Order: sequence, then C-alpha cells, then structure tokens
Amino acid sequence: MTFAASSTLDAPRPLAAPRSDVLRLGYVRLTDAAPLLVADALGLFHRRGVTVSLSRVGAWAALRDHIALGHLDGGQMLSPMPIAAHLGVSGLATPLSVVATLARHGNTITLGEALMAEIAAAAPELAALRPLPAQALAAAIVARRGSGRPLLTFAVVFAFSSHNYLLRHWLAAAGIDPERDMQLVVVAPPMVANELADGRIDGFCAGEPWGSRAVHLGLGRIGLTTADIWLNHPEKVLAIGQNRLRQAPERISTCVAAIIEAGIWLSDPANHGEATRIVHRTAVPDVPEAVVGLALARQLVLAPGEAPTSVQGLQFHPAATYPHPEHGAWWATQMQRWGHIGAQPDTLIPSIWRPDIWRLAALEAGISPQTPPCPACPPIA
Amino acid sequence: MTLRVLLIDDNLDRAAAVTAGLEADGCLVMGLVPDHADIVAQVRAARAEVIVCDLDHSSRDAIESMRALHRDEPRPVVMFVDRAEPASIAAAMEAGVAAYVIEGLSPSRVRAVIDVAVARFASHQALRAELADMRSALSERKLVERAKGLLMQTRRMSEDEAFRALRRLAMDQGKRLADVAESVIAMAKVLK
Repeated sequence: MTFAASSTLDAPRPLAAPRSDVLRLGYVRLTDAAPLLVADALGLFHRRGVTVSLSRVGAWAALRDHIALGHLDGGQMLSPMPIAAHLGVSGLATPLSVVATLARHGNTITLGEALMAEIAAAAPELAALRPLPAQALAAAIVARRGSGRPLLTFAVVFAFSSHNYLLRHWLAAAGIDPERDMQLVVVAPPMVANELADGRIDGFCAGEPWGSRAVHLGLGRIGLTTADIWLNHPEKVLAIGQNRLRQAPERISTCVAAIIEAGIWLSDPANHGEATRIVHRTAVPDVPEAVVGLALARQLVLAPGEAPTSVQGLQFHPAATYPHPEHGAWWATQMQRWGHIGAQPDTLIPSIWRPDIWRLAALEAGISPQTPPCPACPPIA
Repeated sequence: MTLRVLLIDDNLDRAAAVTAGLEADGCLVMGLVPDHADIVAQVRAARAEVIVCDLDHSSRDAIESMRALHRDEPRPVVMFVDRAEPASIAAAMEAGVAAYVIEGLSPSRVRAVIDVAVARFASHQALRAELADMRSALSERKLVERAKGLLMQTRRMSEDEAFRALRRLAMDQGKRLADVAESVIAMAKVLK
C-alpha cells in the first residue's frame, strides 16, 4: 500500500525512513511555512550540518499523528495545537515541545461578496471601515434573524487553531455568541474559496495565500487581519516530539538556528522575489505567484480590483521567532473559555514551551540569546 | 453484530478492498466519502458507529473538530496507515483515544481491529465521564465552602450553623446543595 496524497496535487515527497541523523519535519500548504521551505531551499540546514527532510501534509491532525506514530519528528503547527495534543483532547495524545515561533500574524478574515452586501444594507456606516468592526457583522446577524434565513457560517482551519480562538475573541467582544448567533465550521484552507463560491460558507479566517486567492477570484473581500485582533500575535510554531527532543537537543537547536537565519533572510525586502518563488514552487503551485508574493511583502489586496495595501503582515524577524510561554498560557485560557479543555496546572505550559532551546539556537545563529520583549496578550474575557 | 461504518478514503481501489473486507466481516458500510465537501453533514447523515479513515485524508481536521465546534457526540475514528514503527503502534494503543492503526490492512483483520478500537473508545469515554463527574463534585464542594464562608462572615454563623442553613434551604426549595450555594454566592455579590 502506498501513502495516499490527500490533495489533488502531485503527491508530496514520501515520508523519509527513520534515520537517527535525519530530522523529519512536516508542513502544511501555507505561506507561513516559508522559514522551513527557505531554510531547506537555501541549504541553511545543510550548511549547519543537519539533514532535514520536509514532507507536505494534508491535515493538521495528520501531522500530529505522524509525529505520534514516529513517521515525523516534528513540524509546523498551529500555536494552540501542542496544548491539545499534549492533553490528548482529541486524537492521539502526543507530548510535544514548542522550540520556536515560525511566524507572527498572516491570517485574514475574508467575507464573501453576498455577506458584504448584507452588511452594506444593515450597517452602511460601518461596511467600508478597515479594519471591519465586528459590530458590522452583528448588524447583519440581527438583520438575518428576522428574515428566517439560516445562521451565518464562517470557516476556520481547525478547532485548536489561532484562527478559531482569535475569530471568537473578536466576535465575542462585539457581543456575538459564536456558538449561538452563528455557525463555525472547519474547512481545509485550499478549499475555502470553493466553499465560498458554492455558498456553503459566508466567510472564513485562514492563513495566506488563501484569503488573497479568494479576493483574486473575485469571491470576497478581506475585512481585517488577525493582527487587528491581537497585534504581534504568534501564529505557527515549530513543535518537536518530546522523545525526539530528548534524544537530540543539539540537532534541534541547530535546526532552529537555521530557521532564525531563514527569518532574517525573509525579512529583507531584497529577497521577497526569491522567497515568493520558493514558497510558490514548493507549497502552493496552484496559486498565482503574484498572489503568493503579497503576504511575503506584507501586503494585501483587500477587495477585487484594488491596489495592494501595506498591512501588519507576516513577521519572521529574530524576535518574532522566540517562543513566549506567556503566549502559550493565553491560548490555554482561550481553550478553557470555550470549554475545549478544563482548568490546568501552572506547570502545563512550561512543560511544552521551551525557550531554552531557542536561546541555544540564538547563540548558534549569532544573535542575542536575551528574551526579546514579550508582546502583550489581549485581555482574557 | 452489525457495525455501521463510514469509510473516508480518496483511493478508490483501496476503499473497495476495505469495503469488501468490512462487509465480509458483518459491517454495514454506510457510504464512502471520496472528497471532503460537506463532510460534517455526511458524517451526521450516515449515523455511523465508527469512522474508518485514511490518516492523511484532508477532511480529518473537520472530523476532529466536530466535537469542539458543534458539540457532536464523539465517534471512534479508526485510521489506517501503511506502516508504523512497532514502538509507535504500542504508543498509539497506549494513547488509544479514538484511533487505531491498521498495519498492512489485511481485510480479514479489519473487523477485529475495529472492534478493539470501539471497545477502547467506549472505555475511554466512560473514564472521561467519570473524571468530569469527579471534577464537578470537587467544584461543587468548593461552592458549598464559599457559601458557608459568606454566611459565617455576613450572618456571624458558626461553620456548622452555616452548613445547616444551606441544607435547610436546599430541602425547602427541593434543590441541590450546590445550586443553593451558588445562589447564596450570587446574592452576596448583588448585596455587596
């Protein structure tokens, strides 16, 4: 039996056979996999003497399970996922360590054209505001209530995702109950545009390039980004199976050093063209290169036909790669808030978030190993 | 006993082989989902007792999120993979939440594996419910303690008097002790 590719694209590279000197990492088809893709393509891992084999995975749950089953050593992961995996909230219980943040920001909340028309009718004074206030959405929800139409449906990428918790935080702050006043569903990012086109969802929160692709196809407009909800929020992290980290901590910190280096390279505007080509070629060949390039240049086209605007977009600089345990703790409060996990002991987050590994990596990469200032978390509601 | 199974697999040849194996072993295959459009609706409509799914299928995140997002009754998900290290199979069984690994997938073994997975899932769910009960019993005791404290402070009652007052209230109103304690705490907040 062969491994089934879960996307309709060409099959991802087969998972490497377990060799103790090879670090096998998984990633998902998203622009913020860039630090891994770039470090691989530019030979940054190789130059530091670590052999890394990257595999594309079709679902977050699959990535976690491949780590649990020993097919992968780690990979790109949504920030709240290691907490859910550690506690075995669903699927295989998998003890993981967060050794770096791969990127800050980078998700859009994109609304379908039909919903934008409803908002324009219900709250004309709010509809054109950027970032779009959640009160505009609330007005559309109220207008629908009287009309006997179904609840608004928004897609997120996974239950235990920054997308789910930041979207809920934004909605709840405007008095919208995300479980009663609307419906949240999970759709794999490459499918969100199709679901929007078919009218099965009214909007979504997803990482790039998938929001920009929906705008490019004329299906919707970007109302806001998750940076408008939590400025400087950590997005994906690099999570490593705890067994693997115990076996080879030096190899992991060297790998993180290469990722810090890749982040510095990605932050230089002179490299955006080449970065775009690498990400486009390896992760999202089905999305036009110009659309992929937007997020890497920290720009977005907010509505079809508009010129690109600069936004608080993806950040890969060294301070952005530090894994702040405080941020892990904030995700845990949100998971509790929505009833996804129970109360947890204070020891939980320090057993998952490992800034000590990042510090070793910083020394190897030749940057300051000091803890960078910790961006403030949103209030815990 | 007939077991109702929903099969999720993009690989139609493999799906046909698995279906044959399942049906020969007395399973009722409720349907095959080749892609993930509307997966949640399909899972609900199938009313399957167990989902058999390719580990790498792109609909996995939607299926796994059903409980957290929609409060759907969790269903055991049996995943098949083509290979796994022996140690990791042991680890998976240890973790054995809603998942199991079918190595090599010989059709004659499929039913046995699924039965084990369903049994493990059921016992895990029972354990979870027990834990939830224990946790709520603990938090109920905390509520009663707090209500007692408030009564002792504001009404200058002894601990024993406070407890008896709460119990009397509960009996008079036909409510649970914890519920009465909760309303005492709420009331104290209002009167503050």
